[in-house]
Amino acid sequence: MLVSGLFVAAAETEQKFLGDESDGSRATPIHLIPLYAENEDGEKGEKIQPDAEFPMPFSTRHTCIDCHNYDLVKKGWHFNAVDANVPPGRSGQPWIYFDSKLCIQIPLSYRNWPGTFRPEQIGLTEFKFTKIFGRHMPGGGPGEIEAEDIDDIGRQLVSGKLEINCLSCHNANDGQDMGSQIGYSVQVARENFRWAATAACEFASVTGSADQLPATYDPFMPDPGVKDAPTVTYRKEAFNENNEVLFEIVREVPNERCYYCHSDLYIDNEDAEKWSSDEDVHLKAGLTCVDCHRNGIDHNIIRGYAEEANISQNPIAAMSTCEGCHLPEGEDESRTGRHGAPIPTHPGIPTVHFDRLTCSACHSGPWPGDKTILTKTSRAHKLGTPNVNKAPDGLPHVISPIFAKQEGIIAEYLGRDLLLEDRKIAPHKLIWPAYWGILEGDRVEPIEISIVENVIGGVFADLELSATGDWPQISKEQIVEAIRVINTAIGTKAVYISGGKFYSLDDSGAIKEQENHPAAQPYLWPIAHNVRPAAQSLGVRYCTDCHATDAPFFFGDVTIDSPIVAERDSVKKMVEFLNVRPFYMKAFAFSFVFRPWMKIIALGSCAVLAMVLLLYALRALSCVAKVLAGNNQ
Amino acid sequence: MYQIISIIAFLITLTGITLHYIAFPAGMEHLRDPVKKLVYFFTLLLIEQKLSFTGVLRKLVYLLTLLCFVVLAITGFYPTLVLDKHISGYLLMIHATFAPILAICLAILAVMWASHCRFTYSDWPWFQCLVQRVTLAKNAEEEPLIKSRRFGEKITFWLIIVLALPLILSIILSMFTLFGTYWQEFLLTIHRWTALVFAVVAIIHTYTLLRTKID
Repeated sequence: MLVSGLFVAAAETEQKFLGDESDGSRATPIHLIPLYAENEDGEKGEKIQPDAEFPMPFSTRHTCIDCHNYDLVKKGWHFNAVDANVPPGRSGQPWIYFDSKLCIQIPLSYRNWPGTFRPEQIGLTEFKFTKIFGRHMPGGGPGEIEAEDIDDIGRQLVSGKLEINCLSCHNANDGQDMGSQIGYSVQVARENFRWAATAACEFASVTGSADQLPATYDPFMPDPGVKDAPTVTYRKEAFNENNEVLFEIVREVPNERCYYCHSDLYIDNEDAEKWSSDEDVHLKAGLTCVDCHRNGIDHNIIRGYAEEANISQNPIAAMSTCEGCHLPEGEDESRTGRHGAPIPTHPGIPTVHFDRLTCSACHSGPWPGDKTILTKTSRAHKLGTPNVNKAPDGLPHVISPIFAKQEGIIAEYLGRDLLLEDRKIAPHKLIWPAYWGILEGDRVEPIEISIVENVIGGVFADLELSATGDWPQISKEQIVEAIRVINTAIGTKAVYISGGKFYSLDDSGAIKEQENHPAAQPYLWPIAHNVRPAAQSLGVRYCTDCHATDAPFFFGDVTIDSPIVAERDSVKKMVEFLNVRPFYMKAFAFSFVFRPWMKIIALGSCAVLAMVLLLYALRALSCVAKVLAGNNQ
Repeated sequence: MYQIISIIAFLITLTGITLHYIAFPAGMEHLRDPVKKLVYFFTLLLIEQKLSFTGVLRKLVYLLTLLCFVVLAITGFYPTLVLDKHISGYLLMIHATFAPILAICLAILAVMWASHCRFTYSDWPWFQCLVQRVTLAKNAEEEPLIKSRRFGEKITFWLIIVLALPLILSIILSMFTLFGTYWQEFLLTIHRWTALVFAVVAIIHTYTLLRTKID
């Protein structure tokens, strides 16, 4: 019975509803629909009446579910991070928790990407995680997990769950408010999870903060006397006589919606501004993000890396990579050139490059300079939200571009990780993890943030914080003191990780530094965009774009980021991230100094050989002619 | 496929040379001790005092060519035939360092040896007979036809010169921004196959040259 029950549940999950199966029309379906709230049992509640005394926020789940299978949608890539059965695939951008006063900057992910930590390892429950990072999530995932922590259970009763906000992507109305003072991000930060989607849409506004309310507050029995209680005000003109609302829903998500969570700012100079840098060449050619990053109703969106087709259920994953559109391969030649993609000829590029490099290595991200640059991303730096720190050196410190071999797990099969094969070189963003941990054998387990705060808060109490949000200036002596305090408080061997180094105390209590410890390795994730035009790709000028003795591709400086003052000016060479011997790469690059000479010598030798051959061929012809002419002398 | 064909080609070449050596022993009957034979072979590498300046130069260039050939053959074929990989790393750097030296040496040898390796009537008496029969011409002095023993050496010399052109050009042209991926692969294929034939011919040439010297 249990098995049959599971089958029924699975079948219901896979079931497609009215709006989930297209009839083939490419016209935009009209979404003139009534809105429904969620009731106190989590079921479909009453229809929203804009002129009600205390209107509830509408629930996307219960409003959209008449036509769309919500349970199918929530399996999509944007919502399924918490599902352990989903293969993590190529390493991606982590969520970054940082606290300058505690000298912490740590990459987090629910996906099993090597180098990231699970949020619960630093004491973040799904509820807390959602409150911090939900600002740049389209809902779902951790936002819909039932709270288990005793504190969170009460808070979640007030805040509700952060449902998938369909409108965060599919609302084409300019009024979709993700980042204003009263928009989606602020509502999430106020724990107004239940109200967030409503507050973000163009025809409603929300005041109040759930996080200011006691856990005993009942949002389904609003009390006008309670200060700060979340309150919805609907714009009545948006509703027709049947209390239906016309949504500007589009199937193909506008680029601006993607940009809210997927913007980058490369700080290559003090005045780095978005207007001074170019967008992706594909967008300029008229494509949209979702022309390549496609999905069906299961929202299993294509990430776009070459190996994805091995694990993706998306049937067009293989043809939605760079190669899928640009390179004729196998029997699908007729599919190349999709969207007008030019077929590259790559003149003069030895084919070995295609075996060892991703397309993005030469075509994507910022052009590498002598030194890596600080980079801001929407999700790491809260771009597009109110009161964002606009200082270039504000934490977290994401560094790019770094050329390194791709990491990732394609699939987990029978408990064994199947690692990414043919790890090609790609441009990456990088973060140097900085955290306090406990040494367990060779493994370092991060200490929960709340414990760190309680234990070493006193040590760093007088620390002068940077006005720009940069690291404070701490010394190794302060690290020693902090480790000593943690050791005493927790009774275990505490360590500090930062800037690629592992700090611990030896038996005499002196600081011990260790480089290349596995726990201190940086976390890197590949850069796919912005794609530069072909004329701006690496190697377009000459081989020495990469193979010069000072070419940034191999010999650029990668900044080592650390709050410890003594480590601030440290750098590593790019070649150290490529698992190749620096001397070899230097010698190989040096050989390119002589490459023009080699060409001249070889061509000159060929000319001499050809002339000798021609000369003696003519003489032989002369002999034959003489013989045939009867002149045998 | 290339790997298998290359191994077979080298095996056939070396077996053929061995069989030829056994079937037609070199004129070293006075040297029965194998060590002495080996020493004698090495003395062939030395520069004879009686040689003129150009003779010395010719021999030096030849020896340098031989050295370059050995280095290039090892660095080129070892990864392909033994490791089943493309040439890369230090082997590639050594290969690319010795390649232009070989090209220069081949050009110098072509100039210095071409006249010496011209085909004469004695190289192919059957051809002379054929010509005489066709043209009804007679030798002025009706000299008896003497078959040359250097035909193999000469033909392999000219083959080396001819093969050197696609061998060098295929890799040098791929370094210019003239050819796209398809042609890059095509040029690389030409280089690989030409290198195989070149190596086989060079081995045979070296053997025939030694035999001419010894005999």
